[in-house]
Amino acid sequence: MGELFKYDDEREAASAARVRALEALLIEKGVLGSDSVDTVLGHFETIAGPFNGARIVARAWLDPAFKQLLIDDTPKAIASMNLPQGMDGAEGEHMAAVANGDGVHNLIICTLCSCYPWPVLGLPPYWYKDPVFRARGVREPRAVLREFGVPVAPETKVKVWDSSAQIRWFVVPERPAGTDDMSEDELAALITPEAMMGVALVPSPSSTSTSVA
Amino acid sequence: MFTRFEEYAASSMLGQPDSPPRLQGKFLFDKPWEREVFGLALSLSKAGYFEWEAFRQNLIESIAQWEDGYCEGQPRWDYYERFFVALKKTLVDAGVLSALEMAGIDAVFASAGA
Repeated sequence: MGELFKYDDEREAASAARVRALEALLIEKGVLGSDSVDTVLGHFETIAGPFNGARIVARAWLDPAFKQLLIDDTPKAIASMNLPQGMDGAEGEHMAAVANGDGVHNLIICTLCSCYPWPVLGLPPYWYKDPVFRARGVREPRAVLREFGVPVAPETKVKVWDSSAQIRWFVVPERPAGTDDMSEDELAALITPEAMMGVALVPSPSSTSTSVA
Repeated sequence: MFTRFEEYAASSMLGQPDSPPRLQGKFLFDKPWEREVFGLALSLSKAGYFEWEAFRQNLIESIAQWEDGYCEGQPRWDYYERFFVALKKTLVDAGVLSALEMAGIDAVFASAGA
């Protein structure tokens, strides 16, 4: 078994060395600018991604007027925030937010293709395009949610929102208990893309630490 | 629909056989070289050295080659290793690097370890 792991380590080191060598050769030949890799990946790491959605939701938790505007006129609310330049480009047109709470749980799916609000949620999970998820999300959303570990009480209404080329939905999840003293940044750190699709809840910080321990 | 090359490139792979690993809305890179090789491919295609679709077809083929291999002696599954194989082939196909230059890259670890 030790030999097996040794082999993997060597393979990892070889791949890393060869990628470095390839990059160096491409720079030397003038094919690649030295900062190109960071520039293209920066799009996903700093411009369009789930960090934007988390900031929007955290603001909505702290500011009821902003939350209302977010539900009523999502693009206007997003435009009022100082989010990265260019985040509202691809797939960001016509985003619309729906809020969990008051006896309602929202679930986002896309039955037609794979419309997804990239600028606020980042890359869609691998199962988002899965035909079974898409079909069952419509037919039996409560069963699907239970499988995701989100049991919805019978008296809570489940609303399923079908994203399309015209409207790309995202969910404002419920603010968990035990977060009264948290700042906007601390709150944003709790919010996952899955919670903004409605397939996860945002756990309270105390319950998270208990489950980890 | 997509105005950014980066998003077009990523979305073309989603739900396809060459779909890259990701977690909570972000690409999942276990090692720095995986991020590096992904960024290299994106950046070179964006600069016009090859069509992204041509690279993708090589990646799908490279993944299929691993899947068709015998279990015995088969190296552990590694998405970015298949990705690197596909990128090297694409660069030679597109004439960005020669086969000889690429052989030099493949020999790097052997000579460094010797």
